[in-house]
Amino acid sequence: MLDIRYGEDRHVLLIGRLDAAQAAVAQAFLDDVAPPCVIDAGGLEYISSAGLGVLLKTHKRLAAAGSGIRLVNVNPHVHDVFRYSGMDKLFSVTCGT
Amino acid sequence: MTFKRSIHELQAIVAATDLFFSERCIGPALRLPVDLSIEELFVNMVKYNRGTHHDITLRLDWIGDAVEVSLTDYDVEPYDPTRAPELDVDAPLAARRPSGMGLYLVSKMVDAIRYEYRNRESKVTFTKSMVQGHA
Repeated sequence: MLDIRYGEDRHVLLIGRLDAAQAAVAQAFLDDVAPPCVIDAGGLEYISSAGLGVLLKTHKRLAAAGSGIRLVNVNPHVHDVFRYSGMDKLFSVTCGT
Repeated sequence: MTFKRSIHELQAIVAATDLFFSERCIGPALRLPVDLSIEELFVNMVKYNRGTHHDITLRLDWIGDAVEVSLTDYDVEPYDPTRAPELDVDAPLAARRPSGMGLYLVSKMVDAIRYEYRNRESKVTFTKSMVQGHA
């Protein structure tokens, strides 16, 4: 399951699994987010291409407004997905400590 | 195991994979690449094999130090996911589209993948080992 909501400092908290079944939920939330958009992915356990598509669409929308998305606290396994897909070349993806 | 042709079956697939991994004490390093590859292949069958109403069969085996996974779809036209086009991961933002990322990711995250088509059955089998590959 996926939990997406605002945390401290208006960071978006992304928790759980962002798969094809949850992509619409994430997209509906992110469609209302205004820049700058920092997504704390410390609780994100899993992402598939459907989830990457949601982030790509959101980044394109916000980049057109002058500032894209930034992902922080990404776990190493999830980071592999961003690296293999080349998404880490489109927006900032930072691993957690 | 068989699953209905719906993305809402992903939760049940994850539960089945959870059980498979925990019963065999398989480490977490294999989990994401196996989950991702199952999801991408399953969703691809659901989205593009529209002319059938059969359930999709998922089989997981632990062979040596590798997980072997197969997905079989019945009464369908052939489509070989191992021949999906390469993704240009260096393309600029304006040129990037979500489509095509799924099967490309599978090709990068598994150790081996093969496709068989016989008697209108499409079967995709992949392996992911503890020692090979990055993930």
